[in-house]
Amino acid sequence: MNPLSKIFMVGAVLMLTACAGAPKRYDYAHFRTEAPRSILVVPVINKSVDVNAPDYFLATIATPLAERGYYVFPVNMVKSVLSDDGLSDANLVHAGDPRRLGELFGADAVMYISIERWDARYAVLSTAVTVELTYTIKSAHTGQELWSNHQHVVYQPQANGGGGLAGLLANAIVAAIAKAAPNYMPLAHQANNGAIYIKGTGLPAGPYDGSFGKDGSDY
Amino acid sequence: MSIRIFLIAPILVGLLSGCVTNHQRYDWGTYDPSLYAYYKDPTKEATLVESLAAIISTADADHALVPPGIYAEYGYLQLQEGKNLAAVELFKQEETHWPESKVFMDRMINVASRPTPTSSTK
Repeated sequence: MNPLSKIFMVGAVLMLTACAGAPKRYDYAHFRTEAPRSILVVPVINKSVDVNAPDYFLATIATPLAERGYYVFPVNMVKSVLSDDGLSDANLVHAGDPRRLGELFGADAVMYISIERWDARYAVLSTAVTVELTYTIKSAHTGQELWSNHQHVVYQPQANGGGGLAGLLANAIVAAIAKAAPNYMPLAHQANNGAIYIKGTGLPAGPYDGSFGKDGSDY
Repeated sequence: MSIRIFLIAPILVGLLSGCVTNHQRYDWGTYDPSLYAYYKDPTKEATLVESLAAIISTADADHALVPPGIYAEYGYLQLQEGKNLAAVELFKQEETHWPESKVFMDRMINVASRPTPTSSTK
């Protein structure tokens, strides 16, 4: 086997572990009983030091949920309407009763997201950009938790230079750029995909997907 | 380059798609980046409005479905500009295309139909 195909093999093994190494199958019993058609995404709790993280994250979550086959309430409009009603504080909304939100919006389910980490940390000639999120869906009819997921995505850019002083320097520059202007959006997208689309732990197909209610062997 | 790579590469692609199946059900245009840009700089509201209008006109031209929430988002920005009639029309569109939105849209149609001193002068 030549070196290049060895690299491919290592890559394949890594990808396999990324999928197969996922936590054990989620218990979908409550989710199946409710079979929600619509999801209301409420203001995101921010435990990171980046004050803009909840807004930026909000711009990534509607599309993957809708593509999964759900009706997703207009995220920006919901945020503004809640704010007009004095409910802009995410902690307050998360602590509240999902059934009350269900009445207000006519939603089947409420999605609560908490940003655990959203940062770029510098460590010896390299910068690690991290996005860590917790997703929870609760029934807007019973208040019961229907699904939850946790994602931790790290991006550590490396220069493609060789070894030696030139390589070190190239890495230092890449790390400095990543620290100065970290790009969180690809990581947020990756986290969303990891939360929603993995068999056994992700979200079952919604009503606008052909496999709605027929994917019981996978979810 | 070894012939093996040609055998392995499709498997890798298969593995990747096995992890993340992200087929496009709707044409979202520039929705995600426009919303992100708007949150980053709220003066870019016009770009977001244009993006939402473009999603709707593209879907209409292609006889395709407008993604969930887009009529409503567009309507809400119209409402904020005092264009209440346009907003009501868009909220009705959202409700017609997406019955799940009925409770919320009915409530917003009520809000937008209420005569207010500010909306009549704009």
